[in-house]
Amino acid sequence: MSLPRSKIIGAVEMGTSKIVVLVGEVHQGRSLNIIGLGQCTSMGIKKGEIIDMRQASDGVHAALAQAEKQAGAQIEGIYLALSGSHLQGFSNPGVVTVADPDNFVMREDLRRAATNAKGKALPPGRVYIHHVRSGYMLDSREVTDPIGMQGQSLEARYWHVHGDERKVSDALHVINGYGMDVDDVVISSIASGSMVASDAEKQLGVLVLDIGAGTTDYVLYRQGHIIRTGTLAVGGDHMTNDLSLGLRLQNRVAESLKRRAGRAVFTKDDREKAVMAFNDLSIGDRPIPMLSISRILHARCEELLMILKNRLGSQVSPQHLPGGVVLTGAASQLPGLPELAEHVIGVPVRRGSNPDWVVHKELCTPEYSTVLGLLHYGLRNQQRPTAPAETQARKPGLLTMVSQLFK
Amino acid sequence: MNNFTSESPLQAADLDASGLRVKIIGVGGAGNNAVDRLKIDQLDQVDLAVVNTDTKTLSVSLISEKVMLGRSITRGLSAGGEAEIGRQAADVDRHLIEQMVNGVDLVFLLAGLGGGTGSGATPLIAEIAEASGALVVAFVTMPFTREGSRRLQQADEALVKLREHCHAVVSLPNDLLLQQIDEQATVMEAFALADEWISKGVRSIWSMLFMQGLINVDFATLKSAFTCRGGKTLFGTAEGEGEHAVADVIRNLDLCPLLHLPENRYLRKADRLIVNITGGTSLTMTQVHEILQHVTDRFGSKEHTVLGAVIDSELGDKLTLTVIGTTDVGTSHKPGKRYAPVPAANAASQAPQPKAKPRQAEPIALDPDAELFETKVEAPELDEHEIDDGPVDPGKQSEFDFPRLEDNRGLFERTEANLYEGEDLDIPTYLRRGIKVAVEVKKG
Repeated sequence: MSLPRSKIIGAVEMGTSKIVVLVGEVHQGRSLNIIGLGQCTSMGIKKGEIIDMRQASDGVHAALAQAEKQAGAQIEGIYLALSGSHLQGFSNPGVVTVADPDNFVMREDLRRAATNAKGKALPPGRVYIHHVRSGYMLDSREVTDPIGMQGQSLEARYWHVHGDERKVSDALHVINGYGMDVDDVVISSIASGSMVASDAEKQLGVLVLDIGAGTTDYVLYRQGHIIRTGTLAVGGDHMTNDLSLGLRLQNRVAESLKRRAGRAVFTKDDREKAVMAFNDLSIGDRPIPMLSISRILHARCEELLMILKNRLGSQVSPQHLPGGVVLTGAASQLPGLPELAEHVIGVPVRRGSNPDWVVHKELCTPEYSTVLGLLHYGLRNQQRPTAPAETQARKPGLLTMVSQLFK
Repeated sequence: MNNFTSESPLQAADLDASGLRVKIIGVGGAGNNAVDRLKIDQLDQVDLAVVNTDTKTLSVSLISEKVMLGRSITRGLSAGGEAEIGRQAADVDRHLIEQMVNGVDLVFLLAGLGGGTGSGATPLIAEIAEASGALVVAFVTMPFTREGSRRLQQADEALVKLREHCHAVVSLPNDLLLQQIDEQATVMEAFALADEWISKGVRSIWSMLFMQGLINVDFATLKSAFTCRGGKTLFGTAEGEGEHAVADVIRNLDLCPLLHLPENRYLRKADRLIVNITGGTSLTMTQVHEILQHVTDRFGSKEHTVLGAVIDSELGDKLTLTVIGTTDVGTSHKPGKRYAPVPAANAASQAPQPKAKPRQAEPIALDPDAELFETKVEAPELDEHEIDDGPVDPGKQSEFDFPRLEDNRGLFERTEANLYEGEDLDIPTYLRRGIKVAVEVKKG
């Protein structure tokens, strides 16, 4: 075992409202120490996708520089979160007949099943990002680790995530422009989901909704495995935009109004209430009916949740989702959203929080769950190179990556 | 040629207004209704005409000039919501349309897009009118999102085609107009409201051209402002009354729903801007100046702003303000190529222009923003402006620009449409679902 003594890794999330860089020090491949944070208001990124390369790069580079300065160290490898509606997924299992004459499952069978599952060709311009294994079936028995068990037909179930080649390479180029290599990319739903949902919930079945500024990323866990991921390009920006169009306000004013008075549900006394638009006693300020604010936000949030519910279909029902829904992301802070989600989806909903090992107070809010998840992923990735096959087999639901595609 | 029927008010008016011929054409069912409504409003010196593929609707119209399209195709039984049939109907009766627009200087096209005749025939009529040398301005309503994606798509396609041939297209989404009415409003009232917006728009341009002006805007000026085709049109109107008329007008303009269309939102900077203020006899130059200051600050025209101030003795202490802006965004045609600067037929209408200048010069000269009042008529020069993309603004203007760019970073302006089951999710949900939202707190 020849692990480097310590390695400095960076986690980068290029969000629609802000860019966050977190620097962590991995000790002996075992413990993680968060040593730097860099943030920058995001420009040139809309709905999770880069629309202006120059502006996006400037922001990311500024955040990287800030984080390195704070950490007092140079980042050696970067983990990057990906989002945007170009990310899609499908499930394609790999089925093989167990080769052993006595029907004992060998490692070789698992390997063949995996190759089989990953073999599906994508349309031109698309590229695989993750092959997430979601458990094995051995003769229609669900098993976590089939090695050594007896059976005839082995099915490795996979959830494959793929994205637009250009959009993925755009994101990588932004990092490369800073003179750094991307060790790995992870879709943001998986990164944040790994932080806010507990192991017990993942075992039971839980849906994590990460409602950011530009996108809503979701990940569905069952029996400890990721079985569904997805991205919907609707987020907090849409709420702001709706308010701004509906109430004839500038975006900036609408954004502050949303934070100040926004609510996803409306109540009886909203009819009488009014909120000042600027709330700074300046000229031109005018009262805005509270009912209008709630109605606009209610319509948007309800629609967002309905679309998610329709997309996931029968997967989200009380019997399939005993763990309920966990909300995270900056826009999920909107008051009344858990109640509305509970009403629409019909399962218990709670707001997520980052795990206890995050000791930094400022990192505890849900907006950082993606970068924390990235760092955590990076930590596990550092442990892997010694014996990849073993680690993979022993850790159910561990993300497998095809990073060579990006080289 | 039977444009001048005995009922038409144009006969007497024809003597005046430098022989400028204006025709308002309503296309399809919604267009016919809108024109009928305008007829009741009694705009002088204007021809009204209705075009349809449906004999029934056409026969009940109050307008005397009626053009039946595509009798050979539809047997007078309407286009049945098919834009293609509407287009064919207009195509076979091309000569009728040519007759209708022949010799007209300014054509207003009113239509409801989404249906068959409105979506199919209107672009073709615009094309023919434009080819005959007229200035074409279209006011069209867009269907409710709830009417289904097919109608929406038909309307969108028609709008794109219209923009190619019209000098200005003002689209009024029904979704948005619904926001303006009370919850108890009847269907009749709702549709009347759509017509009202159209008539407001037509009336404002009409009053600019024909009414007694404090500062005149003539046809040539209007024409020079609309040299570009294919661009988006910014259109807003507001009213104010009484002691605080100016403040009211400015505030109402900010609230005008048409300036907040999802697609128009980022066109806050118009390249050419026409500002028309109509007031009673008590309208003062200070009022005009104050309003203009605000409007130019907000929509800051790069190339030029045309100001019109009109007196309507019937208005009393009321003020109405109309802002029309055109941009080069998305234009495929450079101006001046297919468009003669000032057609010979209208040479006479140029005359009043010089006299307008000395009038404005005196009260305004003190103001640092005086250059905003500049009225340019020399269309040929426009070509240069187009090529060098407009002169660089003086320092003050660009200082204003910066924070504004930040504000409207164009939230979803340059992104792909966010389609889910035929609906664009970037458009506010409340609009698509027709949820009524009050913009202001009700008084009292």
